[in-house]
Amino acid sequence: MSTASEMNSQVKIQVTDLHKSFGSNNVLQGIDLEIREGEVLCVIGPSGSGKSTLLRCLNKLEDITSGTVVVDGFDVTDPKVDINEVRRHVGMVFQHFNLFPHMSVAENIMLAPVELKKMNRTEARAKALELLERVGLKEKADARPASLSGGQKQRVAIARALAMSPGIMLFDEATSALDPEMVGEVLQVIKELADSGMTMVLVTHEMGFAREVADRVVFMADGVVCEQGKPEDLFGNPQQARTQDFLSKVL
Amino acid sequence: MALVVGAPASMAQGADSVEGQTYVIGTDTTFAPFEFRQNGELTGIDMDILHAIAEDEGFQVEVRSLGFSAALAALSANQVDGVIAGMSITDERKQIYDFSEPYFESGVQMAVAKDDEAIKGYEDLKGKTVVAKTGSEGETYAKSIAEQYGFTVKSLDQSATMYESVKAGSAVAVFDDYPVLAYGIAQGNGLKTVTDKVPGGSYGFAVNKGENTALLAAFNDGLAELKANGEYQKILDKYLADPTASTPGNFFDLAVKSFPALMTGLGNTLGVTAISFAIAMALGLIFGFFKISGNIVLRGIATTFVNIFRGTPLLLWAFMFYFGLPQLTGWDISVWTAGILTLSLNAGAYVAEIVRGGIQSVDPGQLEAARSLGLGYGKSMQKVVIPQAFKMMTPSLINQLIISLKDSSLLLAIGFAELLYQGQQIYAANFRVTETLLIVGVIYFVAIMALTKLANYADKRFNK
Repeated sequence: MSTASEMNSQVKIQVTDLHKSFGSNNVLQGIDLEIREGEVLCVIGPSGSGKSTLLRCLNKLEDITSGTVVVDGFDVTDPKVDINEVRRHVGMVFQHFNLFPHMSVAENIMLAPVELKKMNRTEARAKALELLERVGLKEKADARPASLSGGQKQRVAIARALAMSPGIMLFDEATSALDPEMVGEVLQVIKELADSGMTMVLVTHEMGFAREVADRVVFMADGVVCEQGKPEDLFGNPQQARTQDFLSKVL
Repeated sequence: MALVVGAPASMAQGADSVEGQTYVIGTDTTFAPFEFRQNGELTGIDMDILHAIAEDEGFQVEVRSLGFSAALAALSANQVDGVIAGMSITDERKQIYDFSEPYFESGVQMAVAKDDEAIKGYEDLKGKTVVAKTGSEGETYAKSIAEQYGFTVKSLDQSATMYESVKAGSAVAVFDDYPVLAYGIAQGNGLKTVTDKVPGGSYGFAVNKGENTALLAAFNDGLAELKANGEYQKILDKYLADPTASTPGNFFDLAVKSFPALMTGLGNTLGVTAISFAIAMALGLIFGFFKISGNIVLRGIATTFVNIFRGTPLLLWAFMFYFGLPQLTGWDISVWTAGILTLSLNAGAYVAEIVRGGIQSVDPGQLEAARSLGLGYGKSMQKVVIPQAFKMMTPSLINQLIISLKDSSLLLAIGFAELLYQGQQIYAANFRVTETLLIVGVIYFVAIMALTKLANYADKRFNK
């Protein structure tokens, strides 16, 4: 991706001086970040550095203490903005899948389009099957989530997050809860999504994967962005002592 | 009211006005031969006299069989207009009630178990325990001689239970009004008298002091009429001279005879439980959500509600709603209303806790996943959280439903005609306490088993 095209593409998410505290614990201490359309951003860092909290602030699953987060031109910290409307354009995939156990696989995916009156049930089912085919699980449409393996559950969760055709996808440690042999199939799906031009923010511990798919890698420590850059620069030639220390432990 | 009292002209006018009126009259549940149920119908000396007078004077009566103490409480609460319950006219009672002319000359007698050869007189009671009915003349008399003969008096609420405790040996003798004892012995209640009766007071019909003067005047009028035309003596003879009330022979006959009344009772038990539980579910959902709300005021309201109704006995609320609330507010509260209020608020407090627990047991990630898809809070709860919570709540809810059904038996204390109350009515008339309770117990058991099976089936069907 050239510098010129970065300049030309539109800003999808603009984070300005973001602070987030849980009681007296200041988890995010002033984050500034800009994510452009089609960009794949990987956030890495030690546990407790605030990576997941940052991600959850982007669709306001966490209340924001101060600062602004502008998604697709909507300031999510503005009480007048309908957060549900914003979230329809931002898909999210969780570490523990969070599939709805009382619904079939297809119903999990159909829930949002049907309830939000975007499609009737027939259209939603067709869309669900199309998405399931994309993640390689079309034959599981009528299965219950409980009968799936971890990797299959996470692929269904990705399909569900895509049901509203979002412009942005957030991945919160999407492979951390998986058995090692299932990590590959999920990463494959995420990679295909990245290649299709989706704007994505991934919090991940998979350094090799981050290096492969990311346009830009952000290293966070102690609630601030410590260092960021192209993957080959950040992994190959880290500038900050904290980054060097962290990478020496995980690589 | 003050205008009416002491103004003979308006008194006379008042006396005329009973014609066509309907009066609610409270009575005892279990005071054969004055009031008792036979084949489901309330009958007895009091009832026959009351109905004969009503007919003679041209007014209607609606009889509520509440129990002696409850009938008096209901009178004070203006839930009933008058009480006829084999009640002795005493100076104490005259302070708060206006009595009719005496309609029965009573007296107290002692009875012991039929096979008891040890007690032949009061002097044999030394160191023993006797029973008498709470607030009755028998109790007053027994207490007046207790010190002299060195025995202890234990007070119970019903004649039938008193007789049972004598037969069971927890007391050696019972002091009761002689007509009641005589009737019970004739019915084969397993007792015998060994001493003479003590002449005592007279029974009267009571209204609140200074109120319902027309009704009282009409009662006196009618009573005089019945005595003059011989109807009065016929009524007494019917119950005292030849008490041939049919007592079912064996256990099977008893079961068959009592079945219709018990089924009516079961119907009322199921009805009051169903209505109350439906309301409790609504209350429980509302307060359960209040409990998990972020709003401190709503949480406070829910916590207060739950603590009040979980922290106080059900029976207290039954009395409060039936006797207390009408006095505080002047509203007319039926026994159904009071019963439903009591059961639904009590169960509602428990259901609120079940709902709170159920919702909190759903992984918070479920709500987050639904919210992240753009569904609002209400939709997310409705489609994602509540169906899962409900599944987890079901066993506890079925449990609470069964507890409420059993708790509904406590409503007999305010005269609600549920299953156990009907059983009491039956053994009050035939004195076959153990067998009747056994039949009632079997009906409860079968009803609850059936309900449990039904609920489990519904659970499997809808929560697959």
